[in-house]
Amino acid sequence: MSHDSHHAPVACKTELAPERSDLGLIRPDRSTGLIDWLTTVDHKKIGILYGAFAMFYFLVGGVEALAIRTQLARPDNDFVTARMYNQLFTMHGTTMIFLGVMPLSAAFFNFLVPLQIGARDVAFPRLNAFSLWTFVFGAFVLNASWFFEFAHLAGWFNSFEWHKALVYTDFAPANGWFSYAPLSGTFGQNGQALRFTGVGTDFWIIGIQVLGIASLAASFNFICTIINMRAKGMTMMRLPVFTWMTLVTAVLIILAFPAITVALIELMFDRAFGANFFNPSSGGQPVLWQHLFWIFGHPEVYILVLPAMGIVSEVLPTFSGKSLFGYPIIVFSGAVIGFLGFAVWSHHMFTTGLGPVPTAAFSLLTMAIAVPTGVKIFNWLGTIWGGRVRFTPPMVLALGFIWMFMCGGFSGVMHSSAPADSQQQDSYFVIAHFHYVLLGGVLLGLMAGLYFWFPKIFGRMPNAPIAYIASGMVILGFNLAFGPMHYLGLAGMPRRTHTYHAGNGWETWNFVATIGAYILGLGVFLAFVNLVWTAFRGKKCSNDPWDGRTLEWSLPSPVPEYNFAQAPIVAARDAYFEDKHGGKRIGTENDGGEAGVHMPSQSWMPLLASAGFLFAGFGMPMMAMGIPHAGWIVISGLGVLFIGIWLWALEGPGGYMLKTPAASGTPAPTETVAH
Amino acid sequence: MFSRFFSRVGLLAAPLLAMIMAGCSKADMTVRQSTLDPKGPVAQVQYDLFMATVWLVVILFALVGGLLVYAVIKFRFRAGDENKPAIVEDGHGNPLIEIGLITASIGALVIIAIPTLSAIWYTDDVPAESVPTSKLSVWYPRIEGTRENYAKAVEEQVLEVDAIGKQWWFRFEYPQLGLTNDAKHSIPNEMVIPKGVAVRINLRSEDVIHSFWVPKLAGKVDLMPGRKNHMWLQASETGHYYGQCAEFCGDSHAYMLFRVEVVEPAEFAKWVQKQKADAAPVAADTKADKGKALFAAKSCVMCHNIGGHYGAGAFAPDLTHVASRKSLAGAWLDNRDPKAQLALEQKTNNTESSVEVDPATLKANLIKWIGSSGVSHGTDGKPTKDVKPGNRMHYYKMFNVAGLNETNQKFTAEELDCLAEYLLTLK
Amino acid sequence: MSDTAAAHEAPTSTGIDHKKLIMWLFLASDCMFFGTLISTHLLYRKLYPAGFTDAEGHQRFIQNLFNIELTSFSTFILLMSSFLMALAVSAMHKGQIKSFRRNVLGVIFFGLIFLGCQVFEFTHFYHQGLTIQNSVLGSTFYVLTGTHGTHVAIGVLWLILMYFYSFTGKLGGHMGALDVEVAGLYWHFVDIVWIIIFTAVYLVEYLGPNGIWGSGLPAVAK
Repeated sequence: MSHDSHHAPVACKTELAPERSDLGLIRPDRSTGLIDWLTTVDHKKIGILYGAFAMFYFLVGGVEALAIRTQLARPDNDFVTARMYNQLFTMHGTTMIFLGVMPLSAAFFNFLVPLQIGARDVAFPRLNAFSLWTFVFGAFVLNASWFFEFAHLAGWFNSFEWHKALVYTDFAPANGWFSYAPLSGTFGQNGQALRFTGVGTDFWIIGIQVLGIASLAASFNFICTIINMRAKGMTMMRLPVFTWMTLVTAVLIILAFPAITVALIELMFDRAFGANFFNPSSGGQPVLWQHLFWIFGHPEVYILVLPAMGIVSEVLPTFSGKSLFGYPIIVFSGAVIGFLGFAVWSHHMFTTGLGPVPTAAFSLLTMAIAVPTGVKIFNWLGTIWGGRVRFTPPMVLALGFIWMFMCGGFSGVMHSSAPADSQQQDSYFVIAHFHYVLLGGVLLGLMAGLYFWFPKIFGRMPNAPIAYIASGMVILGFNLAFGPMHYLGLAGMPRRTHTYHAGNGWETWNFVATIGAYILGLGVFLAFVNLVWTAFRGKKCSNDPWDGRTLEWSLPSPVPEYNFAQAPIVAARDAYFEDKHGGKRIGTENDGGEAGVHMPSQSWMPLLASAGFLFAGFGMPMMAMGIPHAGWIVISGLGVLFIGIWLWALEGPGGYMLKTPAASGTPAPTETVAH
Repeated sequence: MFSRFFSRVGLLAAPLLAMIMAGCSKADMTVRQSTLDPKGPVAQVQYDLFMATVWLVVILFALVGGLLVYAVIKFRFRAGDENKPAIVEDGHGNPLIEIGLITASIGALVIIAIPTLSAIWYTDDVPAESVPTSKLSVWYPRIEGTRENYAKAVEEQVLEVDAIGKQWWFRFEYPQLGLTNDAKHSIPNEMVIPKGVAVRINLRSEDVIHSFWVPKLAGKVDLMPGRKNHMWLQASETGHYYGQCAEFCGDSHAYMLFRVEVVEPAEFAKWVQKQKADAAPVAADTKADKGKALFAAKSCVMCHNIGGHYGAGAFAPDLTHVASRKSLAGAWLDNRDPKAQLALEQKTNNTESSVEVDPATLKANLIKWIGSSGVSHGTDGKPTKDVKPGNRMHYYKMFNVAGLNETNQKFTAEELDCLAEYLLTLK
Repeated sequence: MSDTAAAHEAPTSTGIDHKKLIMWLFLASDCMFFGTLISTHLLYRKLYPAGFTDAEGHQRFIQNLFNIELTSFSTFILLMSSFLMALAVSAMHKGQIKSFRRNVLGVIFFGLIFLGCQVFEFTHFYHQGLTIQNSVLGSTFYVLTGTHGTHVAIGVLWLILMYFYSFTGKLGGHMGALDVEVAGLYWHFVDIVWIIIFTAVYLVEYLGPNGIWGSGLPAVAK
């Protein structure tokens, strides 16, 4: 802190002498290369890293899904063993939710939110880097369970004493993404802590716990950013809808994740120390796990969906050439969905014997949540109505989103009727339902976002014909894979079963679903290849190729590290669009230029602190395996975490002044349009 | 070109609808575990409610989806649009439309909310209406308006069955009829109930969560350890019904099946008597007799019960009448002749009709099941592939529980044959 | 130094400092965290009003275990520490660094007394036969109060580090006062949570002769 005032404004960071932190250590100052990516505090680079990791894990989860579908292609198949199948669907669900959709949403939050609100960074740049690396290491710990599983199957551990002493030899989690106790927990009295599953569950517990910390830290940061760092004139009701949905999502995360954090702590105490939270032999109630899990788990659904809804609410107006129909209602319904999301968790538990009164209450509340969701669809329709719809790749995907999400929403209404749901719960009908919401909905929405903002992120335009083909394959393959599952569920096929007999009438549609899954997989792969290729080799494009509406399109592509040369002042919703085509709606503050803007310094400390989670996360399952001295790995991990946070606090935020292209400030007209 | 193609994106619904239509042939609606072929009042109520939601949703889908397709085609970007002013007016929303649509959606939901509420209470426990009206008219005037007496009248009409879930099989007990595990008369995996009688099923679990689901008779309710759950059902037609555990319960969850046999009340009484009878004695110096000795020597008796022969075991399925059951190993292995069964199903055009047990199939199943459950070893010294990975026979042997261990549990092919012959006598 | 730092701290849209806002957000999240833990404890108390069975197989009622005088004392100590914390924050805002140090030392001292009481209490309960393993009550009690104790310990560590940091001369001005205020927010929150835990876990056991959960009926069997 004490050094930055000595820096004169510079045009490029390399002009500066190496900067020393308050501790006297030299801070990293590369702006390219590996060290830059490891130490960056730039929200745009962090966003790109989030996106890259998320896309990687999407493909990992996709491969797991294809293994599942291959196993189910025909009856009595033995492509994988029962346990491997259980591990596959557990990791598929966990990967897609925590390592695919959430980080990809986080990638958009990171890249876009500061740009959309006219800020130069997030409120806590180093905390942002910490969230990223904690996510990366949590994902790593979770997936390391596969390494242990395959090493075990290959017999690499056979000569070790600790391996011979293991009772249960599953190393990858096999409990489902919900890990219902007591299957994931213990039985037996007086702290015997006998288990049904092995260390796979411990990997899952610690992996989710670490990922939760990452999500919480990121959410604190984003709420703070959105509330506190808006440009002048950017009132809450002028925020772009994507930013609004980010805000609602972040609020959901900070209020929902503590429930799963506590549930995981309790489950960990059961398994490691013989506590009795969910141990039925000692009076523990397994149903409590379900309540705690779904108090988190249902808001989680909206945590996944709302960002995609936000993206679609940006894409549709842009390509309809109209402002969003019913902006206040869309925003309000998003908030209502978030609020009601906390009041419907027990609809995941209609078959657990809640009794008629709670069942009725949750049934009605679940129906109620269909109303704000429906409102969003009506308003998107209203946005298209009377517009001039351009069928660009993002628009095609966004329309696909509405269509598929609508299907998923309608089957959701069917579930809300508890007695009807008792036939559908835990059957393939449910699988069809939530894949229409999460894959047909969320994934298409996120892909729309990727194609929409890629020109802004990299300044290059994705190849359109390939994008159309990939989108077509995704939509077609998706419907072929999950449409028949509605029927399979109604025909009585339960989910999470690794095989089935011929003669139940499930053979044909399972085979069709598998073909669809492969088409879908190829489509997603093609879409991602197209994007990765674009990032490096794609055709350069203009700064505003879509005739965009929000502030990010006013910036050069790729966006310079200081974002805005002069901080913007806005006087309308969709200010950039109105500024382009109508009267003056955007001004600038009299900053930047030769005086420079303040840039935060890079730091190793977030990475170091996160690395503590890596060691602690590895050590805990290793302790459960009985590997000697594994406890020291945990302790050293916690030590690294503490030292990382300590040095982080003491090194100070640092910073330097960066010159920007000069312009004198021009205040925007204070008068605004009607909305 | 691509744009034009994708402006018809809504048409993608066509293959989807076609698929649904294709799935609607009669045979497809009545498959073994179909939820669309209710055979009792509980399943019927659930089905009717489901169909109400289906119609509501189809109408809404047609409306909203149709509007969406129309809007996308009608308001597509046309040549010449680029010359029009960029800012389209009147696009910011309309309070009247919004309020109207919200009210309409709430109205649509009320349509399904009302039958939902009544169905929740109806399916929760045996309703008073299940008592025949002839008896009600006799009882009701004499009951001094007390709900307890009225409830008692209902109770007397209800058959209670305890369904106990274990990894990975169901045990059924009939406490009113003396068929319980404590009395050494429990029924594994095949529940038998009389037609037209309301059955309350008390759901208990001895380890993890399971779920009881016979789609044609009733929707599922979970067997929660630490909770006393219950459900009720009533079958309106006799026949052989297929059920399955519907809550993920570990390695062999997919193998946790069960059957419900619905019979005429008179036949049910006979069945109860038979279940209480002991197994017939085995003729001396036969293969079966040798098998009986093996059953004791190889520790099977530690867990299994065979009434009249051995009575030690209470943990594992009761084998007193194993040869009369149509399925084995958590109903995963079918003891009926598969071809004859298929032919019968096609002939009668329903999956509830069933052929009798085929001794040859049963014997093959017994050898496969016992021989592969980690109890015996293949020629290469490794256990043969498990029929049910993780089952107790395998697990206990690995950890030397209940007298099961490597040295004790090796069967030759001949011994296996004798054991199967013995079990075949247990009709 | 602090002036330049403040200069770089651009005015926020709401006028609330980022650090203060993020601490409020963290506390909102922590409310849900403790809410879940406290609910777990209360749900199980309602379900199993009987207490627990000790190693000798005696049914024990929780009132006999508690030493309510000691717990009341440690609650009072924690309340007083919050008072000192408020004084420390106020001193920092006025730039009175010495007064700040005195008060913060008091907070640390009181926090350590509270932790000491908790360690004593845990040991005492353990010897009386309540363990994390032998009953649901033991599990919920130790995990709930232990988690709170961990929060207090983190707070104490934070304040100790801040106390020593104040001697480097870098803790001062607006930003320094803000840092202390944020630590104060955390400390007050932990204190408030303890008041809720003290009420919900300890005091309700003394409502009526047998506590709010009834007459110590036998635990509901499976």
